[in-house]
Amino acid sequence: MVVQTIGAFLAVISFSLILELPKKHVILAGGIGAASWLVYLLVHASSGSVIAAAFLSSLLVALTSHIFARIFKAPVTVFLVAGILPSVPGTSIYRSVSYVIANNPDLSSHYLVETLQVSGAIAMAIFIMDSLFRLGQKR
Amino acid sequence: MNDKLLVETAVLAGEIMLVSGAEIYRVENTIDHILRKAGRNTAEAIVFSTGIFASLNDPAIEAITVARRVTGRSTNLNRVYLVNDVSRMLCEDRMTVEEAYVRLTDIRDSVQYGRRLKDIGVMGVAVFFTLLLGGGARDCLAAAVTGISLATAMEVSARIRLNDFCANAFCAFLIAIATLFMGQWLIPGIKSDIIIIGAIMPLVPGVIFTTAIRDTLNGDYASGTARIMEAVVIALAVAAGVGAGMGLFQWLTGGLSW
Repeated sequence: MVVQTIGAFLAVISFSLILELPKKHVILAGGIGAASWLVYLLVHASSGSVIAAAFLSSLLVALTSHIFARIFKAPVTVFLVAGILPSVPGTSIYRSVSYVIANNPDLSSHYLVETLQVSGAIAMAIFIMDSLFRLGQKR
Repeated sequence: MNDKLLVETAVLAGEIMLVSGAEIYRVENTIDHILRKAGRNTAEAIVFSTGIFASLNDPAIEAITVARRVTGRSTNLNRVYLVNDVSRMLCEDRMTVEEAYVRLTDIRDSVQYGRRLKDIGVMGVAVFFTLLLGGGARDCLAAAVTGISLATAMEVSARIRLNDFCANAFCAFLIAIATLFMGQWLIPGIKSDIIIIGAIMPLVPGVIFTTAIRDTLNGDYASGTARIMEAVVIALAVAAGVGAGMGLFQWLTGGLSW
């Protein structure tokens, strides 16, 4: 689990290069990504649900992104985008395709539905935090 | 104050942000804030994912309206961040409009990381996502090779100006072939599934998806649905590419091992 968390940290930093994240925030974004993946692993291990894991880890990412965005006066996107990446349902998309190739439509559609559910969970998490932080804010 | 330059500055700021992947409401907000500095009666900004309209009007002046068509986008969060800074300084009167305009033209072409560094980024994503998904040392080694072929494929498809769908499908296809090839002959016993998953991560539309959600929930339905569509199309392209690669490999070797 420690190795995987370190992997998440380095993966998000590598992604920062592709997305041109501002240099001074790269390490912080990596930290958010690592924390979110740790939460994902813990929730997944204790509840066995991919959706709950994606939801709670995205919730953490969204919360910390909003806080850091206010501290550093930077757009929320800078932290949010990088931190979300480990939870993105690449695994479900892959499995859905691989079971199509393996001639197993049942499992394939199971993973297709899972992809949509995980995407929905991440969307919900971002939405909740966006709404909370917008309360009482002048437009 | 030079109204015309102010409108130009506002639209340029908006254009850079929009191209670099900022949310619609952030672009509109930024343009609005800058336009309001003129102190005219009407200052309006309408932003779509493909274009910007900004207008400034007052009985004392002739209306100034600028329309800008925006093509080609690539995520560059640093530019969003820098433009945000400029607009903040401009609105707090710590910068003149002339300075802001010059600064924005600099930002428009600014790149932080060179192409080589980006290739390393692509490779790093493949390697470290494999690690993150529970891969061992041999898996990471294989992922590094797959990452290099992905970076090459991305560069080739950019150079021959392949359209987005085909480029993504082509990259994903190559990932699947390279990984399965290595698993079969070069480094047997690797977990080819998590390596493929790790390597397709740079292609998976996580950023577009995130922005799409925030746009939709902010009430910018036109751009929100357009971006969701974009994310779905990219995901389909990646799926088609990986599927084609795996199918071809299966057909060639007469059996898959995963």
